Formats: sequence, C-alpha cells, structure tokens
Amino acid sequence: MEVPALTDDALIAAAVAGRNEAFGTLVERYERAVYHLAFRTLRDTEEAKDAAQEAFFKAYRALRTFRPGAKFSTWIFTITYHACCDRLARRKRYSNDELPDRADPGAGPAELAERTDTAVRLRAAIDDLPEKYRAVVTLFHLQGRQYEEIAAVLDLPMGTVKTHLFRAKELLRKALSDVVAEQGTP
Amino acid sequence: MTDDQIERALFALPLEEPPADLHARILAATIHRPRLMFRAWEVWVIGTLVAVMVWLGYLVFSLPQASDRLARALAASLDQFGLQLGSGLALWILLGISTAVWISLISLPQSRRRATDH
Repeated sequence: MEVPALTDDALIAAAVAGRNEAFGTLVERYERAVYHLAFRTLRDTEEAKDAAQEAFFKAYRALRTFRPGAKFSTWIFTITYHACCDRLARRKRYSNDELPDRADPGAGPAELAERTDTAVRLRAAIDDLPEKYRAVVTLFHLQGRQYEEIAAVLDLPMGTVKTHLFRAKELLRKALSDVVAEQGTP
Repeated sequence: MTDDQIERALFALPLEEPPADLHARILAATIHRPRLMFRAWEVWVIGTLVAVMVWLGYLVFSLPQASDRLARALAASLDQFGLQLGSGLALWILLGISTAVWISLISLPQSRRRATDH
C-alpha cells in the first residue's frame, strides 16, 4: 500500500519542530519550480542557482513566521521572485563595462539553426519577452499556477495578470511567426 | 501560429532540469548549515556584561587610591551590619561555599534550536 505524501503544512510543522528532513522534503518538492522561475526571470544559470538557494535559505530562517493555512508554494515563489527582482535591479545599477549582461548574449548561427525545433524556438521566444511577461508565462503556462496565486506572488491585481498573459501570448505568436517567415524566405 | 497552437505548445513545454548540484547547495545553506556557538542575543548579553565589567574595572583602578577607598567602604559596611571581618570570617566562608555549590547545581535550559539538532 502506498503511503500518502505529507502535506506542505505537515512538513512545515515538522520542520519547525526540529525535523530537518521535513524541510529537505519541501526542498525536493519545490526546487525544480523555484529554479525554473528564477532561471526564466534572470536568464542565467548561475544567478538562478544563487536566487533559488537564497529563496530557500530565507524561507528556512523565517519558517516559524509562516502563516498556517497559507500556501507554501505562493510563499516560496514570492521570496524567489523578490530575490530575482533584487538581482535584476543590482544588474541594472552596474554599467555594462563592470558587469556584462551574461544573460542575453544574442543568438549565434548555431543557436539560430537550433531554433527550428518548436520547443527550442518557444523557449527562446519566452526568453526574449519583457521580464514582467516572462514571469507570468512561467507561472501560468509552465508551472500551471492559478491566476490568484500568480497575482499574490507578483503582487499584481488579477486583471493585470490576465492582461500580461494576453500580451505575452501576442508577443510569442508574433515572434514565432517571424521565425517561420524568416525560415520560409530563401 | 494560432492562439490555440501557442497555448498547447506552452502547456506542453517541459520544465528544464535544475543543475545537478542545486539540491546539495540548498541543503548545505539550510539544514546542513553549521550552527553558531552562540545566538545573537547571547552574544549581546555576554558582550554587554564584559563591557560593564571592563568599565567598572577601569573606574576602580583609574581613581586615586580607588582600591583603598573600596576596601574601606567594604569594611565600613561590614561593620555597620555588626559583622567584623575577624569574627564573621567563618560565616562568610560558609556562605561563599554554599553559594558555589548552589551555582554548580543549576542546570541552565538549553536553547531550543540546539536542543532539537539531534
């Protein structure tokens, strides 16, 4: 018989009571989604790793303050998103000479050739979206989050979330149509 | 591409695998992070006590004939309570020994975080 998985609330209670392995299970459960959100927002593997680590560290330290009944996923995504925003703001403060934008080096010939594959093209198109649209698309389409949760994570009204999603899809459609048209051109 | 195709392509897009070392890095920064010997408030309390003791010591030894005056003040207060140093010495020694034994028997409560480590 399969043992039912513990809920997030039960794991948090156990972690607060000093059972470290319970927090380890929470990490296992959310690290992929957290890393993915960070990676899509920052577009840099190393920075995404740092942001994901920072998010879990902050969550671990503040675990006692977690409000029972709230969703852990919303909480950890909010911390992650704020960590990413801080990093983006820091990145903007430095001049290009001091800190080159490693995240967006531009597509080389090899990468352009790779973009023939739909998934690869779509990923590249998502990466090219403005940051505010990227986060919404990541949470809604790629992670299957609800509008309410996305609104809470990004601290936006729900209407704005829906508008961002609509505009993001428009931009993606345009970007993908452009690629198709370029490929069709001799 | 139509809206529907975009939607379907987006929902079908798999999440990238996180880097292999991410899990270990997160655990190292959280549950496997070495504990500090003292908590922040403990450091503040100990630091304040040490600072006060240093300050008192400085006061005592920086004043002219401070140690003489301190000894005289102590003797005067003892006289006032009718406890001459000579006759009350045994009582004071007894009091000192019993206090030392009492302090050695006190078991201070362990901080909760360290108590739940194992």
